[in-house]
Amino acid sequence: MSRRKRMMEDLDQDIRDFIERETHDNIDRGMPPEEARYAALRKFGNVARVKEDTWEVWSFVWLEQLWQDVRFAIRMLAKNPGFTAVAVLTLALGIGANSAVFTVVDAVALRPLPVFRPDRLMQLYVKSPQGVEPYSSYPDYDDIRRQVRSFSGVAAYYHSTRFLNSLDESSEVLIDAVSPDYFAVLGVKPLLGRTFSRELDSGAQSETGVVISYRLWQSRLAGDPAIIGKEIKLTGETAKVIGVAPPHFQGAEPLVPSDLWLLIGRAVEFNHAYPAGRSNREFKTVARLSDDAKVDQARSELDTFGHRLAIAYPQTNRATTFQIVPETKRQGRMLPISLLLMAVVGLVLLIACANVAGLLLARAEGRRRELAVRAALGAGRQRLARQALTEGLLLSTLGGAVGFALTYWLMSFQRALMPPALAFLGPDMRMDLREVVFAASVTLAATLLSTLTSVFHAWRVGLAGGLKGEEMTLVHRGHRLTARNLMVAGQIALSVIMMTSSLLFFRSLYRARNQPVGFDTRKNLVGLSLHGLAGSRLRPQQFLPILAERAAGLPGVKRTVYAFRFPLSGAGSGMSAPVSIPGYQLPEGQSEISINLNAVSPGYFQTVGTRILEGREFTSADGPDSQSVVVISNTMARRFWPNGDAVGKFIKFGNENTLIVGVAEDAKIEDTRELPVPYMYLPYSQINFGQGVVIVEADTALAPVISSLRREFHRFSQGMVIAHVDTVQSLIEHSTYDLMLEFRLIGILSLLGVFLALVGLYGVVAFVVGSRTREIGIRLALGAGPGQVKGVFLLRGLRLVLAGVCVGLLVALAAGRLVARFLYGIKPYDPLSLAMAVGAVTVAALLACYLPARRAAKVDPIVTLRYE
Amino acid sequence: MSTKEQRERLELLQGTLDLLILRTLLLGAAHGHAIAKAIEMRSEDVLQVEQGSLYPALHRLIKRGWISVQDGTSENNRRAKFYRLTARGRRQLEVETSKWDKLAGAIARILRPAETEGES
Repeated sequence: MSRRKRMMEDLDQDIRDFIERETHDNIDRGMPPEEARYAALRKFGNVARVKEDTWEVWSFVWLEQLWQDVRFAIRMLAKNPGFTAVAVLTLALGIGANSAVFTVVDAVALRPLPVFRPDRLMQLYVKSPQGVEPYSSYPDYDDIRRQVRSFSGVAAYYHSTRFLNSLDESSEVLIDAVSPDYFAVLGVKPLLGRTFSRELDSGAQSETGVVISYRLWQSRLAGDPAIIGKEIKLTGETAKVIGVAPPHFQGAEPLVPSDLWLLIGRAVEFNHAYPAGRSNREFKTVARLSDDAKVDQARSELDTFGHRLAIAYPQTNRATTFQIVPETKRQGRMLPISLLLMAVVGLVLLIACANVAGLLLARAEGRRRELAVRAALGAGRQRLARQALTEGLLLSTLGGAVGFALTYWLMSFQRALMPPALAFLGPDMRMDLREVVFAASVTLAATLLSTLTSVFHAWRVGLAGGLKGEEMTLVHRGHRLTARNLMVAGQIALSVIMMTSSLLFFRSLYRARNQPVGFDTRKNLVGLSLHGLAGSRLRPQQFLPILAERAAGLPGVKRTVYAFRFPLSGAGSGMSAPVSIPGYQLPEGQSEISINLNAVSPGYFQTVGTRILEGREFTSADGPDSQSVVVISNTMARRFWPNGDAVGKFIKFGNENTLIVGVAEDAKIEDTRELPVPYMYLPYSQINFGQGVVIVEADTALAPVISSLRREFHRFSQGMVIAHVDTVQSLIEHSTYDLMLEFRLIGILSLLGVFLALVGLYGVVAFVVGSRTREIGIRLALGAGPGQVKGVFLLRGLRLVLAGVCVGLLVALAAGRLVARFLYGIKPYDPLSLAMAVGAVTVAALLACYLPARRAAKVDPIVTLRYE
Repeated sequence: MSTKEQRERLELLQGTLDLLILRTLLLGAAHGHAIAKAIEMRSEDVLQVEQGSLYPALHRLIKRGWISVQDGTSENNRRAKFYRLTARGRRQLEVETSKWDKLAGAIARILRPAETEGES
């Protein structure tokens, strides 16, 4: 700047000097001084112009013009605060919704695991006659680790939960019980202390050391720098912290973020039933490819190895092979639903941009004269178009900033999006450079989308140039509104599509929640799931009946029973047992089939309302020493005893003959949407478990009963904790949580989209009314009634609405197949959903047209005709 | 719009003017008026230097570092701005001169055969 200033001062002096010299020359040629000076000035020409041209040599012209444009745009926006606020807010909603959804999608489907070379990590799957599952047995894992050369390391783990600081129910943490080489295989170095190692952590003498996540360390242990070596209390035991994992590392699965790791051998449940058997498949297994191994090579080696195991252990491994799926591919499973969400939120952005484009265009129409004046004064059309673009950029940058801030704020509520009992389960949603880059790109796209029409408009005005007088034509056909009309019809179409999809999800949710589940959902049932029973002096078989009996005496309690698990209480909390059925030929020469089971107390079926179809339910006579008995599900009875004579037959657990005493109706086990499968109930007294749930039927409001149950339990507890308190209603909600989340997200987004579309529609009709005020005045003066005038504009709006609705309906029908896989119990062309969406959008749209139309009818003809 | 054509013509003039200024300054430092006069005299008044383009051209050359400007005292003992060729400007002059020669030669070759063809 200073150099330029100095040069310009020099120039002043130089020009004066030049003119003086020229004057002198002229005097020398014999001119009179006065005339000589005049001639010199005339020869020099326009001093200001010369200065300006020279000034331009020293300036970055485009930068200065940009700065001028920005200042001009700021002035224009500040002059119309209403317009600016609406446009910025619209864009903020559009961009904010996009970056929020992207943050979620990034966390669950896109962001690579924070481990060393995630592309070299393989998840192991076991393919057996029962299907393909991500669980293998510990001995199989150990053999693969030792013998398969294509892997440089293999780790096993399983998910579980613990309670930190015991009795406090809110502090449930998700943990991974892991093999010693877990951290080495993932390539994760500790932030503090150490992780596990085979040398230090094998052998019976090793202590119960745990590695904690950075998140847990910061949130629950106050980031204590001297945490290493300190003891923390986990459900029923104390554990020493040996290491802190690096920030953002939460285990091998982003959807199941772990906060604490302990060794498999140290996990309490294994002190009781160490799952050494090859039939016990419950370990997830992750392998790292050797540096020189290819995926195909590892596949074929693993295949051969699987066959060898199948020959060596025919009892457990018959027809069983292993498969690997690259970690990066496994993550891609969340991609379809992610894409659906991104598509919906993209529609919202499109609608928002169309709105802003409409607003800008309406204003540009109003500024036609100003643009023409500027064009006449020498502004090039490029300059005019650039001016329009600058204004759009400013608007969307403001909108983007507000939207991003909004998202950041919303993300602090991410835990609230999870079901209450799973609040500790939130994936690590964070906003870093990736999110900023995404928001910036969306903002840029929004700028282009929303300014395209007004830039084109400015270009055209610049081209036309002329300063035409104001349109005096009475019949204003509104050709110039074609772009806006198209946009509004498009918005209506998009709203219909979005509204339809959210209704489809709502109806799926309703279906999933209101279908027979095989127990009585009208009863006030509460389940207290207990953990750490193993630490108690009494065995659960002795303890649970006593607790149930005490609970039965509490006020408001009708009846109590107990069981191994509460129906619908989440995936993975079930148990299965291998069963052989005399007289039934299993496929592929299997001798046993694995069937899921529950263990229940006498009176269970009557209390939860699962009907016994044949035979009887358990009584107190079915004790530990009497004949072992079983109640089977209707599906199991029909599959294995198609003649309907299951009761009285025997099945075998190992060598033990067990008598079928009853057949119960099919009840949902984990999810209300599952199909019925064979299921068994055993008497709780005849089986040994470290887990249980006390089920209480209350006859009054649940809340006081739950709190008195808690008090009773704590008086009684011996190193145990209440893991969950569930009601039947809450469990049904949990099991359909994915549908509800999708319905809520898509529902909110589509409401947003409809709202924006209505604002756009209102804007168009209001603008038409505004620009035709004089015509309306004349019509009224000539005797048209207010109703007629209203009708003209309503009709105009109606045409747009109908066009939009028709297009929307067609697209919704065509696109239905895309969402079909996410729905439950209804077809994507569900007529009720479509009708409701069309109806709602049409009614709302007509209202949006009616408001400005009514204003048209109130025009005072005298005032409008006096104008100008 | 005709702005585009005007600008192209201006561009050509500027380039040529730059070359002439550099060539003039090869003889020694000079002030603005003297440069204009020298060009007019040496072209035997065929070329009239427009003041409107002289100063922007001078400043453009300063910005590119081909000439420098300093205070000096003129023949009649008056203070004036003197423009002087820099080493870079000297090299640039050689480049520009050879470019100009090539261009002039090429244009001449195009124009002359065209004349003969027209006659035949």
